[in-house]
Amino acid sequence: MPLDYPIHERTLANGLRIVVSPDHSVPTVTVNLWVGVGSRHEVAGRTGFAHLFEHLMFQGSRQVASGEHFSALMAQGGRLNATTWFDRTNYFETIPVGALDLALWLEADRHGYLLDAVNQANLDNQRDVVKEEKRQRYDNVPYGNVMRDIYATLFPEGHPYHHPTIGSMADLDAASVADVHAFFEAHYRPDNTLITLVGDITPEDGFAKVERYFGALPARPGAARPVLGQLPPLAEPVRLDVVGEVPNDRLHFAFRLPVENDQDFLAADLALEALGGLAISRLVRRLVREDQVANSVQAHAMGFVDGVSLGLIAIDVAEGARATEVEEAFLEELRRFLQDGPSPAEMEAALAQSERSWLTALAAQDERADLISHYGLLHNDPGFVNTLLDRLAAVSAADVTRVARQWLAPSARAVVSYLTPEKAQAA
Amino acid sequence: MTTAPIARPEVTAPGRWEFPTPTTTRLANGLTVHMYDVPGQYVVAARLIVPLSVRWEPREKEGVISLLSRLLDEGTEQHTTEEFTELLERRGIALGAGLSDGGLHVDLDVPARNLPAALELMCAAIATPSFPEKQVGRLVRTRLAEIEQERASAPHRAAKELAATYFDASERASRPTAGTIETVKGLTRADVADFHRAHIGPTHATLVLAGDFGDTDVSALVADAFGAWAPLPRPVEPELRPALRAPDAVRIVLVDRPGSVQSEITVAGPGPDRHVEPAWAAYPVLGFVVGGSPNARVDAVLREEKGYTYGMRASFRPRRAGGLFVTAGSVRTEVTADALTLLLGILDDARAGFSQAECRDGVDFIRNTAPGRYATADAVAEEAAALVLDGLDLDFTTTNLDRMAALTPEDLTQAYGRFVTGEWTIIVVGDATAYADQLGTLGRGQVTVVAN
Repeated sequence: MPLDYPIHERTLANGLRIVVSPDHSVPTVTVNLWVGVGSRHEVAGRTGFAHLFEHLMFQGSRQVASGEHFSALMAQGGRLNATTWFDRTNYFETIPVGALDLALWLEADRHGYLLDAVNQANLDNQRDVVKEEKRQRYDNVPYGNVMRDIYATLFPEGHPYHHPTIGSMADLDAASVADVHAFFEAHYRPDNTLITLVGDITPEDGFAKVERYFGALPARPGAARPVLGQLPPLAEPVRLDVVGEVPNDRLHFAFRLPVENDQDFLAADLALEALGGLAISRLVRRLVREDQVANSVQAHAMGFVDGVSLGLIAIDVAEGARATEVEEAFLEELRRFLQDGPSPAEMEAALAQSERSWLTALAAQDERADLISHYGLLHNDPGFVNTLLDRLAAVSAADVTRVARQWLAPSARAVVSYLTPEKAQAA
Repeated sequence: MTTAPIARPEVTAPGRWEFPTPTTTRLANGLTVHMYDVPGQYVVAARLIVPLSVRWEPREKEGVISLLSRLLDEGTEQHTTEEFTELLERRGIALGAGLSDGGLHVDLDVPARNLPAALELMCAAIATPSFPEKQVGRLVRTRLAEIEQERASAPHRAAKELAATYFDASERASRPTAGTIETVKGLTRADVADFHRAHIGPTHATLVLAGDFGDTDVSALVADAFGAWAPLPRPVEPELRPALRAPDAVRIVLVDRPGSVQSEITVAGPGPDRHVEPAWAAYPVLGFVVGGSPNARVDAVLREEKGYTYGMRASFRPRRAGGLFVTAGSVRTEVTADALTLLLGILDDARAGFSQAECRDGVDFIRNTAPGRYATADAVAEEAAALVLDGLDLDFTTTNLDRMAALTPEDLTQAYGRFVTGEWTIIVVGDATAYADQLGTLGRGQVTVVAN
């Protein structure tokens, strides 16, 4: 179906890009800022820094006290947070429209004048908080570090995606106030930032308000390094077997994929969906429902910008089944898929389910704003929200087969298996 | 060039807002239908609620209703598992089901143009499921694997131990909703089919629909799809009685996980359900003020001052009858005793009262986030379904927000003190040897160590 979410763009003299998308259905507005910095920009010895920095953005700035960004907006009915990922850091709040000026004022103060407030005490405090976040979300969770292991296995040493966004404890310990200053100066520039407003405002109002609060932020020289060239598929399989405290065996098959703005990325996405992302996918049908050697199969593509994306199929091995046999069955189905391509039903379902999940993602102002910022900042195409479904519909089964043969060959797989101690011994 | 800082802008207060009002019909078989037309919402959300209680499960077959819910999309009398799955997915339908304290809910999301087919399939799933033998066996084994996964997850393990410690052993609520290894492993197709035949019917059921209906006559679609769902010979509704707290619930239970780098702390006491008199309105505000944000009382100390945790959350959790007040989160192992001591101090001291600023900020947060929280078809359907499951009128959301506007700090203090008496049930999942001795000296009840 054709979508027509309005997209209005402007760039301020200091380089800040603005997108306004009016939606008068609810008397709220979402402010969503994407800064073009993430863990892919981190240097050796400072992994996890982009995320630690994001925490410091809530600890006060020139005119804002520590913690006040949260408390001032929540007291007005604001829902807000920030997240850090490989390619970007985002900051966002959804507020009643009468609090838009306050939200922009608070954002401009920290995006322009954070360093006035950074000190050793709030760095130390947030370092502790981030270390607890790492323990809670990764270290104290079964399979919690599996993505770290997948990145390290699939991408070469020194590649921007070789290490996870959360970083390492040692590198978090090494972070200093001087690092915070250098990072801010290097990356938090108006011309490296895009702000999206979605909600109960007009474009003229939105542009004027952003200009009022952000217009005076000084333009600062800075250049992004060019993105790396496309990584080819793995030439031969690599594997990492991790034996540890997990309830049952889990197999992860990871593949390098084309970068996110390559048309073939969409075909790869549909290939993974058809293979293992749907209930009717052949892997789910065979491994889960027919042979019943897996509790679940999941498959999805993660789009990145810096020379490679990632395709992942995860199989939770059922009690009584052997991981080696499940891998063999997986390879058999994969080879058949590369040979024959997706079935008409798999293709139709992959498109239909992609459509529903995309429409669901666009249903709320906050998530819609985040997607507009995503494609606006990383691909200079904020209107992508309106065109994705048409692009997907243009992908043929032949495209899916061609791209799958190129990127999802058995020889191009990285295998990361998490095995229970008993199973590992028996294998 | 430096510019003078811009002064902090003023905020304009938002106007009054109301949760949408549905169009409601009732089919001849008893099914109540609430329809919310939400323009611009291209994915329609459907929620079917069948009131029932896990108290109806035979003791040795606990988990049978959860198993039933997981089998609803595995095939019908008309379609095999593979056919049914394909019918759903080729139309972009997501269908799932689950169990809450008030009953069974079947959840469906579909792009609006496929709503007619989706409603037919939804009715088939609930009215004429076939429970294929082979998939029954698989989902039994999946539940057994899930029990092991839950044992390995600290928050899940804590929730299980809390239920076992907090509730009296005679209560169904003291045991896992989806059953234990002992009760699940013997479940059969006949158990599921018998339960379905005896308890699942349209008479007390409700269907909620939300989305952009355009020109579609949704009422007629529903009548076509659900009209033939036959009522049960003797429809039953669940009894409403709060689960009893165990006589020895005020104590500390340590679930021992040697080598754990964090301790998952849960502190629980009694709380109200949403029918509480004079009003539920104070309790969401109290949850926010005590432990609902990084600047709430708990995290202001444990996160922002001490750096002990990524965040702990406190909330009043209503059940269909009765409820709990739960604070939970994880801290690093070395500071467990200090963190728990500080936390209990904060929770107990809150009985002394709340400030005007806390009251205003909490009320404004909850009231003024409402328009955005209920902006999507999914959120509207979820909220209406939650009201139905709790036996509340559909204007509850609006009247509750209106009552909230009138709350005073004294109202909050009184509402808090009514349930919070300092008699806590405390669960800690982590490396027990690191802090068991210290926790024994807190004066918070006997310390018991159990295996993970």
